[in-house]
Amino acid sequence: MANNLQDLMLNDRGFAFDPTSGETFQLSTTGLRIVRLLQQGHGHESILEHVIEEFEVEPNTASRDLTDFLSSVKQVGWISS
Amino acid sequence: MNPPRLILSGLHRGENPQPGAGLIKSIRAQFPGAFIIGLVYDAMESGIYMVDGPDQVYAMPYPTSGAEAYFQRLDEILALSPADVFIPTLDAEIELLVHLPEEIARRGLRCVLPEKLTLHRRAKANLTELANVCDVAVPDTQSVYDLSGAFAVARGLEFPLMVKGQYYDAKKVQHEGELAPAVSQLLAEWGAPVILQKCVDGPEFNALGLGDGMGGLVGLCCIRKTILSDKGKGLGGITINDPRLIGVCERLVRELKWSGPFEVEVILDERRGEYVLIEINPRVPAWVDFPSQCGANFAGALVQRLLDGIWPAVLPTCPAGHFYLRHQIEVHGHVDQIAELAGTYA
Repeated sequence: MANNLQDLMLNDRGFAFDPTSGETFQLSTTGLRIVRLLQQGHGHESILEHVIEEFEVEPNTASRDLTDFLSSVKQVGWISS
Repeated sequence: MNPPRLILSGLHRGENPQPGAGLIKSIRAQFPGAFIIGLVYDAMESGIYMVDGPDQVYAMPYPTSGAEAYFQRLDEILALSPADVFIPTLDAEIELLVHLPEEIARRGLRCVLPEKLTLHRRAKANLTELANVCDVAVPDTQSVYDLSGAFAVARGLEFPLMVKGQYYDAKKVQHEGELAPAVSQLLAEWGAPVILQKCVDGPEFNALGLGDGMGGLVGLCCIRKTILSDKGKGLGGITINDPRLIGVCERLVRELKWSGPFEVEVILDERRGEYVLIEINPRVPAWVDFPSQCGANFAGALVQRLLDGIWPAVLPTCPAGHFYLRHQIEVHGHVDQIAELAGTYA
């Protein structure tokens, strides 16, 4: 529910604290990388490219997993669209 | 300036902790030389025996004994231990004292209390009306005065329901069979009305604030409860920074022109996605010392206001991400200490 993705408190081990809702989360390595890319302003396609390249994942699998992850991120309110 | 001499109450900790022990810790942090007099209703109030606890303790008659008995005992205490500041911490004390601010002033005691009408407007039975004025959501709530009224209202609200005493205590009632015992007990214990409230699902949040009496805030600390006891008490909490919750508190304080400490209790209704007001307590909460440890000493600001006659500068914001855990350890006492308090009122 963070009003701004930049407000999220993240550490390098994927522990995330949402200062608006008070909720804590444990992100996977991939999840942490995606949130960092979102914070840097990357769009869906750019993030997908990064994930495929950095984690050596099949494009179809990467695309499906990214869509699922972004849906979860929307659900907790970190992004709106 | 001489160190302040203060009277305060609510020294019990344990399963259902009161604010007195936390107040003492915060006050001593800002006023190390303060002389603190504890008013107790029971010799088993654990704060009596804490390290760095009250300098002096006196037993009191319950506020329900009436104003005459209460002030007579207060006079006896003041004759033995003069004081200039009084911080009542229990709802029952505040219910009595708001009717008699001149009696407190006549004894040379400085005390911040809400106005009678203001206290009445935030009572559980009147919360819906106040919330509507402030554009704050509340659960469906109705007051009942007897069992037949309770059954009629319960059918409309649907189970499970929260059944609340007008001052203290709340019970979750799952079905009609549990309704009569819960309502009867609360009517017997706290009198009418009993409040029936639709259950709201979602995480619980509390806010501790100080109102300046003109509609503004001297300080506000919002937390999410992270660990709940069986009775719904916050055994753990973490500071948050949600403009929506801050807005709820600001609107309530502006409307009430609240003077002094208060605690707002809300639930984030998962279905509606908005904060729902559950209660406004007219006093500091048991976790009052936690914000002091984050740099915002609410108790210190309250005492400063009582000594100076004006509110100090606005307290710093408690940054999000600080947490507390309620930590219980044993305090030590001797039976002689109980004997000293016995035979009076405790």
